[in-house]
Formats: sequence, structure tokens, C-alpha cells
Amino acid sequence: MPEVIVPIGPHHPALKEPVNFKVIADGEKIIRLDLDLSYNHRGIEKAAEQRDFIRVLPLIERVCGICSHSHTTVFAKGIEELMQLEIPLRAQYIRTIIAELERIHSHLLWLGVAAHEIGFNTLFMWTWSDREAVQDTLEEMSGNRVHYGMNEVGGVRRDLTPEQVNAALVRLPVLEERVKKYVDMVNNQKTLLVRFKGIGKLSKEEALKYGAVGPTARASGVDYDVRRDDPYLVYADVPWNVVTDTNGDVYGRTRVRIGELMESIGIVRYCLENLPEGPIRVNAPKTAPKGEILSRYEAPRGELVHFIRTNGTDKVERVDIRTPTLANWTSVAMCLVNQNLADIPVIVAAIDPCLSCTSRITVINSDNKKEGLINFDVLRKRFRTRYQSPERP
Amino acid sequence: MIDPITLDFVREKIQDIGTAEQVRSNRIRITTTPGRIRDVIRSVQELLSCDRLLTISAADNGKTLELIYHLTGSHRMVVSIALELPRDAPQVPTTSDILPPAGIYERQIHDLFGILFQGRSDLKKIILNEDWPENEYPLRKDWAPDPGTFYGGIKGERV
Repeated sequence: MPEVIVPIGPHHPALKEPVNFKVIADGEKIIRLDLDLSYNHRGIEKAAEQRDFIRVLPLIERVCGICSHSHTTVFAKGIEELMQLEIPLRAQYIRTIIAELERIHSHLLWLGVAAHEIGFNTLFMWTWSDREAVQDTLEEMSGNRVHYGMNEVGGVRRDLTPEQVNAALVRLPVLEERVKKYVDMVNNQKTLLVRFKGIGKLSKEEALKYGAVGPTARASGVDYDVRRDDPYLVYADVPWNVVTDTNGDVYGRTRVRIGELMESIGIVRYCLENLPEGPIRVNAPKTAPKGEILSRYEAPRGELVHFIRTNGTDKVERVDIRTPTLANWTSVAMCLVNQNLADIPVIVAAIDPCLSCTSRITVINSDNKKEGLINFDVLRKRFRTRYQSPERP
Repeated sequence: MIDPITLDFVREKIQDIGTAEQVRSNRIRITTTPGRIRDVIRSVQELLSCDRLLTISAADNGKTLELIYHLTGSHRMVVSIALELPRDAPQVPTTSDILPPAGIYERQIHDLFGILFQGRSDLKKIILNEDWPENEYPLRKDWAPDPGTFYGGIKGERV
């Protein structure tokens, strides 16, 4: 049978985000994959060079809608190291709590998406309802569900009250019970086993060779986790374990994420129970001395790297963001080879791709004066007139 | 996990193909030239047992373009290999054959900085949209959008 090119995307079957693959298939078997990532690039790295350290954090936070805390933490900790700032312990604990809550909600979200990809929508509904408890906790602590806005250079912006700590501690045991149920389901539920086992296999050698990161790599037995290997925040003081698996398929990636859910719940509980007293921030200088740093962070999807260069002013000279999804594409392209076309959604979803992270450049077209942004008031006026006038404008 | 590598060990292994310095307790930075990058990467892979490419960072320092390859291994040290390229004709041999994850980063850097990776025939756009104009490299310091240029998207009037 001749080879056929099957275009997939830019609207990916698994996600509500754009990515474009050209899958070269022979019958139902995948031969090769061509990637075109950025359908919608936003220019965050360029824009970050124009903003001072106070104004740049909200921008960095918006690199991603799920790992928003990851991006600000990795950036702030890089800048703080360049400024040689010592961050109060309480602030570090609060950052860790938010970071691990973020991991929990992200992994629960992923489990739901993966279940949805194989048509198991009951599990999707269950995990997402549990995720709401985590979102509620995050909202109580930070005031927000998505962009928490907790970080600033020098510490965190909001303190935790005893009521917030207690509310979170009450929810954790319930969540733990639910996650145990998912552990049991993933290991025994037939629908999951049939669709996950042996799918999208990646050996340890391949995972290393193609630079897979995070749960994708750890599911193939690659024992890398930045939280242990290059400790930051309070991970060196908290009891927890790196979760690895030897299956190397979608099943293994699920087991790693489920295992990490349990570990993260443990970390959050430890941090909440041992939250030290003290200030939550120090005053940071306006400018950072000239220097460069490679700041590493274990985001829910894998290792996140910010390469930051400062030039003695209050702005960065360059921030180079390498997101885990970008690192994982090479391995996805490899593990799709020889797989069935119908397994594309779940294999791609198994790395938990985050495309908004990966796309960061925008296109500004100013050749046409009529083209441009509509501001909120104009937009509102349009809708108002639509509802007020008898005819639609 | 094996013992962390030391600066002296790195200096002994890479010899004269680059100069090494310790910039942080777990970071070593090697400075080299574009012509020697493949040798350095091979030495770092084989002699310093770095099996993992973290990323290739690119930066424009105004005078030259810089590439920094960050590698790590089971010793958990990050070895960064830095080199500078002239702005007018930035070219460097590709490392994607000896370091497969470099492939996607090289395409990204080619898009954003216009650095040519010699020996690659597949440097097509990956990060920028396909109708982005040629020879416009948005992350260079001197780049600014030109009002007369079409940067992709929908042409003409938008409602």
C-alpha cells in the first residue's frame, strides 16, 4: 500500500490547543511524523525584555494556563539568585504548597483528558470533580483559579491564614482516598488496561536519547527529577520520593502521574503542618547585577528551564524559556512510529502537551490602519446594542 | 547516582578544545568556538557521561549571537557549552545527529535568530507561522516590526 499523508491539526484531537502534525501512514500504521508547532505564537520572550522585574512576572505567569506558578517560580528564583537574595523560609513553604497543588490539579486534569481520549468519560468526570477541590484550595489561598499571582521577586505576595491551612488539611484526606481509588482503577480496570498497555512504548535508552522529560521519561525508568537532582524551594527538607516506572508506555505514564499525585499530597500536607512563622517577603533591589543563570524547575509536565541573562538594569537582557512539552515532542515523534493511527490522540495526550507554553511569539500586523484590537468598552457596547435594538447591527 | 564531576576533571578531559570555569556549585561552563562544538559535545558525552541535553539557549548580545548548549548526566552537574557567532553570517555545524533532541531546538533558533546549522536540510519553520517573511528574525535585538511587511495571518480588513 502506498504511503499516505494524514494531516492532523492545527486543532489537535486531544486538546483545545493548536498543533499541526503530518502523519505519514501506510494503511493504519504510522511511518513517520512531521511537526509544525506554532500555529499561534505570542512573543512573550521579546515582550519580557521590555518590562521591569515587577511587571514581567504577570507576563511570565501567562506563558501557561496550567503551570502558571511554575513559570513565575523558576523565573523569580533565577532572578533572586542573581540578586543574591535570601528568601524567607515561610515564603519558600508557601511557594512549595502552591507548586504541589498545581501539580495535583494538573495531573488530575491529565488523567481526565487521557480517560476522555479513550472514551472513558466517567473517569473524566470523576477526576475533574476532584480537581475542583484542589482549585477551590488554590482559589482560597491565592484568590485565583488559574493565574495565582503569588510570586514576586523577593518572596510571595499573600500569606496563608490558619483558616486556609485548616480548610486545605480537611480536604486532603478525602482527596487521598479518591486518588487511591484511581490507583486501583488504573491497575485493574479493563478499559484502561486495554487502551493503555503497550501503547506508545518508549524504552529507557530511547527516552534518554530523545531527551524526554518529566513523567514521560520517568515512566521509561529514567530517574531524573529536578526537585531531587538540583533542589530548590524546600524539597530537600520534605520527605518524598521520585516516582519511576519501567513499563514505558501510556500505562506507565499513568502510573507515574498517579504515584506523583500521592507524593504531592504528602508534600502539601507536610508543608501545611510544618509551615514556619515569619515574614513572607524581603525587599528586592530594583535592578539585578549583570549575570546569567540557568534556572531549573520540575513542572508537572517535566523539567522547565529558564535561561536568564541580566545586564545591570531593572529588565532582563534575555529570557529563554524551554518548556517540557517542547522537549517531549522529539520522543513523541519516535514512539508514534509503527503505532496505529487510532492511538494518536492518547499517545500525544500521554506527554500531557501544553501548547500555549510552547508558542510564545505574536504577529503584529500594522499595515492596515483599520485592523487592530478592540477594547473591552467597544466590545461591550457592541453586545449591548445588539440586545437593545430591534435589528441586529 | 555517581559522584559530581569537578572542574579539574572537566579541564583534564576537554583539554584545549575549550576553557572551563565553575559558575555555581553544580554548573560548569565551557567556552569554545563554532568549529569545535562537535568535538566538545562528543567529549562531554563520552568522557563526562552527559547523556541529556537540557536545552540550547540563544541570545543576542548586540555584537555577536551566542549559543549555549546545556547538558547534564547522572552526576547531576549541568555542563554548559557556550560559543559566539558573528551577526552577519551566523553559522555553526549541526549537532542534531549526535544529539537527537537538538533537532527541534535548532529549528527554533533558526526561526527566531536566523542562525544557520550547517549540515541540516530540514530547517523549515517550526515556531513561526509558515507565512512569516524570510530574513526576519524577531528575537534579534535590532528587530522591530516593519509596518509595510505582512507577517502572516489574515490579509485585509477584519470586522
